[in-house]
Amino acid sequence: MTTAAARPASLLPTLPGRFYADPALFALEQERIFETQWLAVARTADLAGPGAFQTAGAGRESVVLVRGRDGVLRAFLNVCRHRGARLCEQPAGQVARTLQCPYHAWTYALDGRLAAAPNLSRMDDIDRAAYGLVPVHLTEWLGYAWICLAASPPDFAAAVQAAVAERLGGDGAIDAWSLGTLAVGRRVTYDVRANWKLIIENFMECYHCATIHPELTEVIPEFAGGYAAQYYTGYGAAFGDDVQGFTVDGTGGFPALGGLGADRDRRYYAVTVRPQVFINLVSDHVIFHRMTPVAADRTIVDCDWLYAPSVIAGGADIGQSAELFHRVNQQDFAACERCQPGMSSRLYAGGGVLVPSEHHIAGFHAWVTEALGDAVT
Amino acid sequence: MIEVCAADAIPAGEGIRVDGDVPVAVFNSGGTLYAIDDTCTHQDASLADGWVEECAVECPLHASCFDLRTGQASGPPARKPVRTHRVVVADGIVYVELSSDPAAVPTAGSLVPS
Repeated sequence: MTTAAARPASLLPTLPGRFYADPALFALEQERIFETQWLAVARTADLAGPGAFQTAGAGRESVVLVRGRDGVLRAFLNVCRHRGARLCEQPAGQVARTLQCPYHAWTYALDGRLAAAPNLSRMDDIDRAAYGLVPVHLTEWLGYAWICLAASPPDFAAAVQAAVAERLGGDGAIDAWSLGTLAVGRRVTYDVRANWKLIIENFMECYHCATIHPELTEVIPEFAGGYAAQYYTGYGAAFGDDVQGFTVDGTGGFPALGGLGADRDRRYYAVTVRPQVFINLVSDHVIFHRMTPVAADRTIVDCDWLYAPSVIAGGADIGQSAELFHRVNQQDFAACERCQPGMSSRLYAGGGVLVPSEHHIAGFHAWVTEALGDAVT
Repeated sequence: MIEVCAADAIPAGEGIRVDGDVPVAVFNSGGTLYAIDDTCTHQDASLADGWVEECAVECPLHASCFDLRTGQASGPPARKPVRTHRVVVADGIVYVELSSDPAAVPTAGSLVPS
């Protein structure tokens, strides 16, 4: 443990170990962060037609997203109003017209209204809207459904879009990649035995890159210097001179996405949208991570590789392209899992330290502790 | 004869419930009006809340189907038929003449105090 007085100026403290291992603190994070912020939980194209549904974890809640017969995508708490049974157990599926509780058959229209229930017509004092499913705020952006459990959600533009604009150096800058129109070429779900903050912190820095990411550092040699693209505003890390594309072996990728100017070519941009989204942008594809923390020491990460629809429809081989970041993910998550046991070590009771190329992570820690408020002071 | 509603008040594919000692549902299937008992013979549910397709209504609870022309249970789990009633449209108003047959009672419904 390093006291503030003894700590050299080069080093800033991390959070204490208990922030990464204590179930009570994790529950507090679920309540005060994941149940108050906007979360990206589904690719809207995966919910294409009426009756398509998916369930998602959001904080301590389960949420069901379903597209109505009117084409509108909605989110509801995945809980029956009657006796509290979980409505949808499957992670995804298709219903014809209703969501029906498997217990007593309380039956909800896809707009949430209570459509039918046994003996309901004998209970004409029941307001079918008032006893419908409880809606959850939903906004669509970048081809993803973002939900928020807060009664009054933070302003989406200020909370989410501004974070992306700040990193990329301009409002609407991400529109050039037209994420909403891209097709999912590959999706991998990682079950990571590590606290969600270890994953964010890892993603925010590149001090580790030269050590654990040999393929990535071949493609982007400046990462060997330890400074992540996120350290700067509006900056894209440059590909190596002899590198043709963002691929595992540096071979050529695909034509640049239509809306991108030459200044974005051969560069890599990375954005963290707190608390659970990472977006990695190169000229020919986008890698979009969504995290779902499920325990203090366990986080599910869904990662989509997004390409121009013509690339996917044409059956192009995206193997070398997607493999690069799949390897980066495996390397990163192994590192996070390596740290997790240490969070409970007596050594880490007072936390560790951040070197200068990691100092911006202190801003993330301040954000976490502010969100948790007086509970952790 | 029971007065139901204006003839244009039931859109195609929809139905409405008419309360009474034995509730009745009137459906518009492809422009033709049909009247049957509103209560599913499997469990107490309003068929008017169900879905109309090709001269049949599907119960919203367990997807039992009834033929709107005959009242026969055309899809399980219901087995007993519902009654059909004569529909009359006069001067733009829909009327139903109730069948004199005894109504089927849903097994579950009979256990519920009315």
